[in-house]
Amino acid sequence: MRAKVFIAGGALAGVVLVGDPGVALADKPTEVSKCVENAVKTGQQADTCVKAPNPILPAANELVWGTLSFVILFYLLVRFAFPPVKKMMEERTNRIRRDLDEGERVRSEAEAILADYQRQLADARGEANRVIEESRQTAERLRADLVQRAEAEVAELRRRSEEDIRAAQQQALADLQASVKGLVIELAEKVVERNLDRETNMALIEGYISQVGSGRT
Amino acid sequence: MTLALEFPPLSRLVEWKTLFFSGPLAVNKVVLIMWMAAVGTFVFFWMAGRRGSLVPTGVQNAAESVMDFIHNGVILQTMGTEGLFWAPFLTTVFCFILLGNIFEIVPLVQMPANARMAIPFFLALVVFVSYNTVGIRKHGPWGYLKSIMFPPGVPVAVRPLFALIAFVSDIFVRPFALAVRLFANMLAGHLLLATFAILTGALFRATIVGAAVPGALLVALTGFEVLVSVLQAFIFTMLTAVFIGLAQQTEH
Repeated sequence: MRAKVFIAGGALAGVVLVGDPGVALADKPTEVSKCVENAVKTGQQADTCVKAPNPILPAANELVWGTLSFVILFYLLVRFAFPPVKKMMEERTNRIRRDLDEGERVRSEAEAILADYQRQLADARGEANRVIEESRQTAERLRADLVQRAEAEVAELRRRSEEDIRAAQQQALADLQASVKGLVIELAEKVVERNLDRETNMALIEGYISQVGSGRT
Repeated sequence: MTLALEFPPLSRLVEWKTLFFSGPLAVNKVVLIMWMAAVGTFVFFWMAGRRGSLVPTGVQNAAESVMDFIHNGVILQTMGTEGLFWAPFLTTVFCFILLGNIFEIVPLVQMPANARMAIPFFLALVVFVSYNTVGIRKHGPWGYLKSIMFPPGVPVAVRPLFALIAFVSDIFVRPFALAVRLFANMLAGHLLLATFAILTGALFRATIVGAAVPGALLVALTGFEVLVSVLQAFIFTMLTAVFIGLAQQTEH
């Protein structure tokens, strides 16, 4: 198609170039010179021979062709050339408008999704905090529980130990009393057997006590 | 040193001999340029339409930029949304004038189609019919004339004078000025380029070095004429939109 256009253009240019070798002449020099000769002969003004045409008046043939060119061009453009160009421009306008609307819609949608995610994230964060707090409290409770239980155990142990000690003490005291009783009886028998003086009695008692003391220790 | 500088008469720079056909259908260089402008405009938009890609590139991008420019830069600025009906017409006018103009600097062609009165005259006539039709349809014949000639707020003393001036200005001078502005600018540009080209050529033959300054100016002016070509196409389109927009308005 483009080649055809170039060929047509070239042909038209060729016609202009070949058909137009130079400036055109409205007045041929020979006619002018003849006129001037005549004027000189007859004594008239030679100025009338070179008549400059009025440039403001349109030449008939140019007017006809100019009118035809414009009218045909206008018809062809309106009939064949403008509508597709116009249609394409309108299509593009619509397309751009549609794309912009679509973009706007997608954007607001994305914003909504983002807000949703942010809300979910905040929720999750709150939940996590809640769980952590709960764990902390549970741990605290557990610890207090354990400490309490340990303390109770310790108290129980101590109580039992004390009871044991007390029992042992009482047992020891009872044992002592029994053996003291026996000894006193034994001693009394010895005293009765030997009628001793005071010094002998004292020595007997002290000796006995020291015997018992060493036996207890 | 004398320079034999022979400057051709105006007619030799803008009037071209007939190549084929004759009478009112005679084809000369200007007509060929008109054809090229029309074909170029059509091919430009046609190719853009054929591409039909959602992501515009190349010619499609350029064509859409032009349509967008007419839509936003011209119509919405002057007529508002109710002027969008005129978008195809204004786009065609803009491109056809621009391409007709730009052949002024296309090598080997070097002639703006609008340096001849034909297209400016025809287009101004179309514009003249367009905005007056719009005005009459909107306000009725008498209402339209009244809105032009007797706008509110003009002191009673100057009303007759104002009415006359407004009538002549709005109805006749506008299209005439529109056509002459385009035609005269392009003709002046063409003559300027031709003058400097002839001068540069003559100086080059005579001195070589002497052609440097006018040669550089010729290059600069060629660039300037690109600007003029675009600007004149824009001004014509813009004023057309302004005139139609004014005729559409309920109050002047």
